[in-house]
Amino acid sequence: MSAEKMSKKIQKWIELEEEAKRIRRVMADWNFIEKQPPRIKEALKYYVEKGDIRRASLLAGMNVEEFRELLRKAKIPVIV
Amino acid sequence: MLHEFAIADTCFLIDWARYRRRDILFKLFKTVFVPEAVLREVVSENTISWISRWLAKGGLALYTEDPSEIEEARKLVEKSRRIPHIIPVDLPEALCLIIGKRRNYIVLTENRGALMAVDFLEEVNNVTVWRSLEILVKAIEKEILSIDCNDPEKILKEYMNDTLHIFPRRDYNRVVRWMHELCQRRK
Repeated sequence: MSAEKMSKKIQKWIELEEEAKRIRRVMADWNFIEKQPPRIKEALKYYVEKGDIRRASLLAGMNVEEFRELLRKAKIPVIV
Repeated sequence: MLHEFAIADTCFLIDWARYRRRDILFKLFKTVFVPEAVLREVVSENTISWISRWLAKGGLALYTEDPSEIEEARKLVEKSRRIPHIIPVDLPEALCLIIGKRRNYIVLTENRGALMAVDFLEEVNNVTVWRSLEILVKAIEKEILSIDCNDPEKILKEYMNDTLHIFPRRDYNRVVRWMHELCQRRK
């Protein structure tokens, strides 16, 4: 893949991720997030910023599906 | 029937299993495979119950990965981690991509790492990947789902409400425009 093509693709994903991050930040129930134990709270914040469910669930010490349920409770949408 | 086989990853199954019209999947595909690595990650009663029912009926089938598929998937994971700015693909999703490539199955995923891998890694750039959005579009095309032309967006909103899964604005608008055009043509 040429450097130019790679750069365009990266730019496309950066734009998509910026949009998704904005929506996650707005929709998240920050009161719920702040009340969580430290590890869970940091994992939810990481997910809001990065949208990476695998690394976020590892940070939380949870299985992916359990973490997905936690995202619903925290009103954080998955945007794909 | 549109396609014979698909393979689903964890992120797809755990959202799709919450959708009120989840069984339409089996009107689109003869068999949807679930790798053992994916099945091991499913823990909720709702998802397990839906999977076990369809494993019994035959719409879903267990896929046992072979060592060479796991090895190729591991290489894909390593390669994705060397590309800056992208979400890396992890082993369960990488396995689905490798199996999809080798067996020409459609890969069902909601995982950004998997979608980025198809966009960036030549090893899997010919793999067909569908999100729930593409499944809903295909179901509408095949008239498995019917659009309410007074409220075409209802189909997408139902899925988003059931799962708390939002489609990117650009993709959502494109599909809504297409549904409006479809309604115009059907008048």
